[in-house]
Amino acid sequence: MNALQLAGYVAVVFFAVSLAAKMIKIARMPIHIRWDLYPIPHEKRKGAYGGSYFEEVDWWTKPSNFSRLAEIKAMAAEILFVQSLFHHNRSLWYASFPFHFGLYCLVVFMALLLMGAILGAVGIDIASGSAGLVGPGVHYLTLVTGSAGWILGAIGAVGLLAARTFGNELRKASVRSDYFNLIFLLAIFVAGLVAWLTVDPGYTHMRGFVQYMITFQPAPALPGSVTALGWIVIALLFYSPFTHMTHMFGKYFTYHTVRWEDHPNIRGSKIEKAVTEALGYKLSWAAPHIKKGTWAEAATDWEKQGNE
Amino acid sequence: MSKDEITIRDFCRRTGQLVELDPGHFLLLPPPYDKLDIQPKFTRLSEENRKKLESDLDGVSALKFPRPQNEDEKRVLVEKFLSGLKKLFDRQENWTFMQPLFLTMEFCAKCQTCAAACPIYNESGRLDIYRPTFRSDILRRLYKKYVKTGGQFFAKLSGNDIDASWTMIARLMELSYRCTVCRRCAQSCPIGVDNGLVTRELRKIFSQEMGITVEPLHAKGSVNQLRTGSSTGMSRTPFLDNVEFLEEEVEERTGMKFKWPMDKAGADILLIHNAGEFLAWPENPEAFAIILEAAGISYTLSSDLCAYDGVNYGVWYDDVQFAKVALQHAEVARRLGVKKIVIGECGHAHKALTVIADRVFTGEHNIPRESSMTLLHEIIKSGRLKLDASRNDDMTTTLHDPCNLVRLMGVVEPQREVLRAVSNRFREMEPHGVNNYCCGGGSGFAITKDLNFPDFRNQISSRTKLRQILDVFQDIIEPEHKKYVCAPCSNCKGAMRDMFAAYGLFERCNILYGGLVELVVNAMVDIDKPFIEWEWH
Ligand code: SF4
Ligand code: SF4
Repeated sequence: MNALQLAGYVAVVFFAVSLAAKMIKIARMPIHIRWDLYPIPHEKRKGAYGGSYFEEVDWWTKPSNFSRLAEIKAMAAEILFVQSLFHHNRSLWYASFPFHFGLYCLVVFMALLLMGAILGAVGIDIASGSAGLVGPGVHYLTLVTGSAGWILGAIGAVGLLAARTFGNELRKASVRSDYFNLIFLLAIFVAGLVAWLTVDPGYTHMRGFVQYMITFQPAPALPGSVTALGWIVIALLFYSPFTHMTHMFGKYFTYHTVRWEDHPNIRGSKIEKAVTEALGYKLSWAAPHIKKGTWAEAATDWEKQGNE
Repeated sequence: MSKDEITIRDFCRRTGQLVELDPGHFLLLPPPYDKLDIQPKFTRLSEENRKKLESDLDGVSALKFPRPQNEDEKRVLVEKFLSGLKKLFDRQENWTFMQPLFLTMEFCAKCQTCAAACPIYNESGRLDIYRPTFRSDILRRLYKKYVKTGGQFFAKLSGNDIDASWTMIARLMELSYRCTVCRRCAQSCPIGVDNGLVTRELRKIFSQEMGITVEPLHAKGSVNQLRTGSSTGMSRTPFLDNVEFLEEEVEERTGMKFKWPMDKAGADILLIHNAGEFLAWPENPEAFAIILEAAGISYTLSSDLCAYDGVNYGVWYDDVQFAKVALQHAEVARRLGVKKIVIGECGHAHKALTVIADRVFTGEHNIPRESSMTLLHEIIKSGRLKLDASRNDDMTTTLHDPCNLVRLMGVVEPQREVLRAVSNRFREMEPHGVNNYCCGGGSGFAITKDLNFPDFRNQISSRTKLRQILDVFQDIIEPEHKKYVCAPCSNCKGAMRDMFAAYGLFERCNILYGGLVELVVNAMVDIDKPFIEWEWH
């Protein structure tokens, strides 16, 4: 087994574990105070203009207006088209959209490589001329997503780098690591593009490598440019969990557990239980107006002197 | 100096005042305020106050915090700050906001989309220190260095290293009072990062750990409220006297003679106004009383501690003070046995009791809370009031959307429906609804009136609202046209009162501000005299 393959295993496990640890850490944080921000798309009919169930008299007696479909639609628009950037920062969107769309293409590309590798392992040939629909289908989809991914990603990364370098506000708000992160990703797009154009037009080397990985067979040496791409991807897998690059996962929480989280606290509900538990937490804030002990004690420490 | 680029490094290290605020650099206003000579001057702090008070951010002092006398005092303050900083990321000490704050710290992509959404940053002429991410980046760097494991090492490596010096902390303390927590920035953020929350959490370090807050919010605000019953300092007897006086005034103005229901156990509704209304805008609680009486609603006011004052300033700076006041409100409702609490025209009281307190109330305290906007809408829809919108035809109206009620709670349409029913000449500001702009008085700014802070508020934080008002009425800006800005929020009215006065908006353009219920009563056909008195007071 060569070094690239070994490092590949370690990197994948490292990435999966550290990302999962971060997400679990967030998910396990205590219930927080509601901090809704409208519009909330899952409000049937009202979501479009930003209304909430608070617009109804005796809202707690009315049936829920929750629409999962509306929420999924809003999420899809946001994830696929970076809609909020389109509305609020159009000039950056022209770079950010291809960048993100390129990344999504590459995620699908990797899934297709994996699928092709599994099919290859069970003897199905992945090529334009292979028999049936599956082989050529996976082949062409891999070709399209991979190639689109490198190209769009590279265009987007160059655009984002330019915006960060020449845009007044962006430049002021940027630090070394912001440029480094973009250059890192640009390196991947360029390396992929070069490998595809020079030695791996059908992605057979890359798929083959994945096949060796999943079957735990020692992979033969790869062409230089594919190897270079492999090492940069491995480096990214080690590096990205420590950066904001994982925001595509963080976004799930910022939207679902904060902005759009409007579940009311009904008596006897799970929420009420969690709040009761939180009120039992200890606090030790040092300012004199705060009684030490539990939150429940501090919150009922009324300086009542009568209001006659 | 004012247009110089200010970096976080300057913020941490440069000595002396960082920025000088100069109206010449603020964004130009629409006519008739497009000339500098009719705009208010920006008052500088006196030399004595500059020497005495921390004001090295921008020459404004919201907190009136005295400069420490020696290095020891500074060291203690820095230690306290760092101790509070750590508590912000502790699951027990800050269960209330730890998760949203953590997300904000971890995932900002620094795209600066939020900058374009921030009225304070833009109106100031884009001063770096007011950029929404400026404040957050400082907190982020401090968090990464002083809270995260291995932070000291990684801070050096990433090139983001800053030291927690008193110079920086003192500026950060003032900077946490240069944002209205309107959360417009958060709304535009593609990732869901919340720079408004950062402001609030910073204020918590200063308040909950260091005991430092602006006086009107804490000592004269929530502490006063918990002690006397109201942040205005009005205790029960003067409150009851006041109500009696308003009952007489209602009779005088409308011919309607009735007692306002007070401390009535078993009523359907406990109505809680912002107590400031009774003193500054008595026509608002009067109009509520008239409408509810005419519609035959079962409700009561309360003269009990805190329950005649819906304000809850903790929502802007302190979780513990917030919870104390919210629980007092719920406790009174519980004792009265009402079916629900309805909140009068006060935006932050709405958000405090309905949204924020939703994760504080349990068991018997968890009594349903509702907006007066929906109740009014229901009353109008039911046809229980005889209304004639043409009675408001002498004025053109527009609607201000209080951030707390609209963007942060989703009550958008009911107040519009009511306004459309009583005003034929209603026009929307742009943008409006959940995309509105803050009045500039949010997060306590409206009641912060010491030293030169009102200049900051009137000329920077309220400037976009002023711009919107001038824009919406631009074709009828001459004083012969009467124009009314309907602002269903005491806090917004407070900010508008000061801003209108500073710019002479009533005298120069004949624009008045006021609540929603006043327009409703003005349209009631059973009342002979106009209810709205067209004069500045
Ligand atoms: S807070 Fe959001 S909008 Fe602002 S820079 Fe960060 S990611 Fe961009
Ligand atoms: S909350 Fe409002 S005032 Fe504060 S930074 Fe964001 S947009 Fe600006």
